Amino acid sequence: MFLYNLRLARMSLMKQPLLTTLMVSAIGIGVGACMTILTFVYVLSSDPIPEKSDELFAVRVDSWNPESPYDDDKPEEAPWQLTHTDAMALLESDVPTRHAAMRKAVYTVVPDNPEVAPFFNVARMTGGDFFEMFQVPFLYGSGWGPSADENAENVIVLGHETNEKVFGGTNSVGKTITLGTEIFTVVGVIDDWQPHILFYDMNNGETNPVEDIFLPFSITDRREINGAGNTNCWKDEQIDGYFDLLRSECVYVQFWAELNSAEQKAEYQRWLDNYTEGQKALGRFQRPTNNRLSTVTEWMEVQDVVEDEVMVVMSIGFLFLTACLVNTIGLILARFVAKGPIIGLRRALGASKAAIFRQHLVEVGLVGVAGGVLGLILSRLGIKGVQQLLSESDNLAALNLDLLLITFGIAVVSAIVAGLYPTWRVCQLPPAGYLKTQ
Amino acid sequence: MEFRPILSAMLRNKTGSILVALQIALTLSIVVNCMFLAKQRIDHVNRPTGMDVDNIISVRSMGFGTDYDHDRTIDNDLRLLREMPGVISASHSSGLPMNGSGSANGFAGSPDEDASRVTANYYHVDERMLDSLGTTLAAGRMFRDVEIRRADNELLNRMPQQVVITQALADKLFDGEPALGKRMYDGLGESAEVVGILEHMYGAWVGWSDFDQVAMFPQRTEGPHIRYIVRAEPGKRDELIPLIEKTLADSDRTRLIRGVSSMEETTRNSYEGDFAIAVTLSVAVGLLLGVTGLGIVGLASFTVRQRTKQIGTRRAIGARKRDIIRYFLIENWLMTTIGIVLGTVLTIAINYSLASAFNTDQLNYGFLVAGMFMLWLLGFMAVAEPARRAAQVSPAIATRTV
Amino acid sequence: MLEMKEISRVYRTDLVETHALRELSLSVDTGEFVAVTGPSGSGKTTFLNIAGLLETATSGEYSLDGTDVSGLNDNQRSRIRNEKIGFIFQSFNLIPDLNIFDNVDVPLRYRGFDGAERRGRIEKALDQVGLAARMKHLPSQLSGGQQQRAAIARALAGGPSFLLADEPTGNLDSLMARQVMDLLEKINNEGTTIVMVTHDPELARRAHRNVQLLDGQLASPDPFSASQSTPIEADLQPVA
Repeated sequence: MFLYNLRLARMSLMKQPLLTTLMVSAIGIGVGACMTILTFVYVLSSDPIPEKSDELFAVRVDSWNPESPYDDDKPEEAPWQLTHTDAMALLESDVPTRHAAMRKAVYTVVPDNPEVAPFFNVARMTGGDFFEMFQVPFLYGSGWGPSADENAENVIVLGHETNEKVFGGTNSVGKTITLGTEIFTVVGVIDDWQPHILFYDMNNGETNPVEDIFLPFSITDRREINGAGNTNCWKDEQIDGYFDLLRSECVYVQFWAELNSAEQKAEYQRWLDNYTEGQKALGRFQRPTNNRLSTVTEWMEVQDVVEDEVMVVMSIGFLFLTACLVNTIGLILARFVAKGPIIGLRRALGASKAAIFRQHLVEVGLVGVAGGVLGLILSRLGIKGVQQLLSESDNLAALNLDLLLITFGIAVVSAIVAGLYPTWRVCQLPPAGYLKTQ
Repeated sequence: MEFRPILSAMLRNKTGSILVALQIALTLSIVVNCMFLAKQRIDHVNRPTGMDVDNIISVRSMGFGTDYDHDRTIDNDLRLLREMPGVISASHSSGLPMNGSGSANGFAGSPDEDASRVTANYYHVDERMLDSLGTTLAAGRMFRDVEIRRADNELLNRMPQQVVITQALADKLFDGEPALGKRMYDGLGESAEVVGILEHMYGAWVGWSDFDQVAMFPQRTEGPHIRYIVRAEPGKRDELIPLIEKTLADSDRTRLIRGVSSMEETTRNSYEGDFAIAVTLSVAVGLLLGVTGLGIVGLASFTVRQRTKQIGTRRAIGARKRDIIRYFLIENWLMTTIGIVLGTVLTIAINYSLASAFNTDQLNYGFLVAGMFMLWLLGFMAVAEPARRAAQVSPAIATRTV
Repeated sequence: MLEMKEISRVYRTDLVETHALRELSLSVDTGEFVAVTGPSGSGKTTFLNIAGLLETATSGEYSLDGTDVSGLNDNQRSRIRNEKIGFIFQSFNLIPDLNIFDNVDVPLRYRGFDGAERRGRIEKALDQVGLAARMKHLPSQLSGGQQQRAAIARALAGGPSFLLADEPTGNLDSLMARQVMDLLEKINNEGTTIVMVTHDPELARRAHRNVQLLDGQLASPDPFSASQSTPIEADLQPVA
């Protein structure tokens, strides 16, 4: 029966190619537009490290201005970053399974090979725990151990690209590389790794690429580096040079801790509160105690990764789909009503209401599938177009099975929703009514 | 002439008419809200900058070698840049306006502890900066050569003695009183004399509401970073870009030259989010008008086909072609107008909910009026061809038995 | 009243020429009730279309009320149809979305009468066909005979020079058919010229004069004399 219905549907659709084209286009365009924007929202809001995002916590302590909160729009939040002083203190805790302080810096890579021109590189200054904590895949070697952190050793982990440029892509572990005037020893080369959201540092562009060199954070404590990234200060204090900044109340360090259980989290929270109590006694932390541990997804929400603008466009996308569906309902209704006499005939020949209903549902389903295919194609084009506008690479919306199914599902469900009323209407036609002349 | 019978015929076919009206309503509300939001973005992007954006080139240098001498490099670079044919002016600066990264601080118009602080973008620049940006002073003077502090100056981290500020910042700092000659204070009680007022200039962050509060201080940026802002003669920009990169890179091996780019490109990048939204919304408007227009064409053609006999009968009993055309135009106009009335309510409702959920602005009703006319026109254009075809129906159809 | 001289109508396709009417000449006087009969394909419908100005003749002259109507343009022909001709169709051709009042109103609107004039004419016409009580009904709420009477009211309302009826009872059962014929006779008796096209000799017999078409030409001179019959008032009561 299904195949019979399918054949009927195909014949019926082919008979009026203009109306069919219009219906399929309306659904296709509606779904395409909706899915284009939904893809961005979906990708932006999906978990970049689902395996353990619940065990990774962005750590923040409220060292901010006693007079006013860090963010007037979210006064309940602590500052988004830490002072260097607090980051160094937090590294003393042995509660978390792993933890790392981190910040951005810039370096000039001076290859030994005089043929290769010196080049600029963005570095992440972080702890050896970074790589294990975030499950960074290694091509060669591994991250550095605790002693390198303790002694601020000149060790380096290279990204794929830098390893390619300087060492021609070979295993460079054990070799040395010059950054500015300093020499570092390569301990590892990481494989392709690009979370779609740079969750560990969303202060400087959440869809930025992962840095291509990694150095021990402890270096920043011992000698002057070229820091980069957002720095926010509230206190009127004279800052003369690099080491003054380290001792200042300015925040620019990100801090992450891995806590594997609720007990561990509670214990760490107590540790933090204890730490800030101690600081209060020294005259710092004059705001109410507000030490926060946010999981990756909670942290993305605080950071408004999906901006209001995107949500506005998404709301409009759904309205757009609704308008396309109303259009489709009109077209389906028109053609079904026109089929009144034939339906009357079928009823007279013994088709039940349910049979008529199924027959027409198959027809709208078919329209939905065709609309889905068109919608899929259009949404790919739309995504490409928007990426072009945002000069983003394709990493954001690589073909994703979930999205594929969602697109298809939305198209078919939309078509069926649009077809439901017209289908119901044709079933209400009295079998005899249309058999009379006219 | 025949509103009532057309209306009552429409009411017999309620569902079809309601669907068309509903679609017009949805289309109106989406189109108007999209146009409004897109226009806001475009206005945002097109704010006058007061700078010669089209002819400005920005280039950055970062020293790294042990032999690197910041001041010497800057002296040499500026000399080389200013000697290049096609260059109108070249300056060093701590940043490039509108590129999304910069420094800001709170300043006050009096030394008073409690004086309210005004946040301003600030730049460390040289005496030729106005020429290099192509901007002008409203009052006062630009810095003198001797006032520019070199990078080896030990007071580099203290506030310089002079400052040039924008009119917008001056108005905030001094409550609209003349600012020239007054002093501007930082949080540490240091101060600078306002020597010049910039008519108009923008700071670093295009999305910031206080984007026009800018201050310039006469000094070089601490090493090893420095940026140069070069203003080219009209039409020379693109040929100068590779030339500047090569000239500077070859002149000094103790530093890296990077980010040589036109200000136009940088500005475009800063605005690309706004631009993307404006384009996306405009595309949505176009598509939706297309879908709705074609939908009306489809439904109207279908109706014409369904009513062939009726049209023939009308013709037989005396309707002229133009009466038939008029019938369909009026019918369509009625449905469109009902849709527009519904749509007006919906437009305002959507604008209101977007405004309350996402802080968008309140709708400018000019857009609503424009949208109404667009839909009237769309409905007219969509029904024109089916109506014309209806008029071609032969009156002889009436005598044909089905 | 109606004067056709050597009317021909040729339909051309790429392959064939069909002569639907060949030099047909016919005249109908005021007050007459003429039946045009003939088998299928004899040119009845073409005659009807040309007589009703729904189509134009390929050649020949046609005048109505003493004015030549052969050379009129589309608008002028619409005007004549509206003012001088009252159509009665086999399948009634009422507009399903309009009630009876509004259906009768359609030609009057095209005429450009004001509201009061139209209302008066509609009520009078519906009264004439015995449907005054049903004017708010939709066509689908009426029987076939009532629908045809409504269509007759529509034809009468404009005060036409003649009625042109195309198989007026073709879609009706015999009882209803008889009522409709009685009504037409009554209208004729009141002075309206009627030209009726039919293939049914039984019906044709009720006309004053019969004209038979065969292959687009008049077959023979009128063999019948008019048979008058008196309309029965009771038959005009609506059949529910």
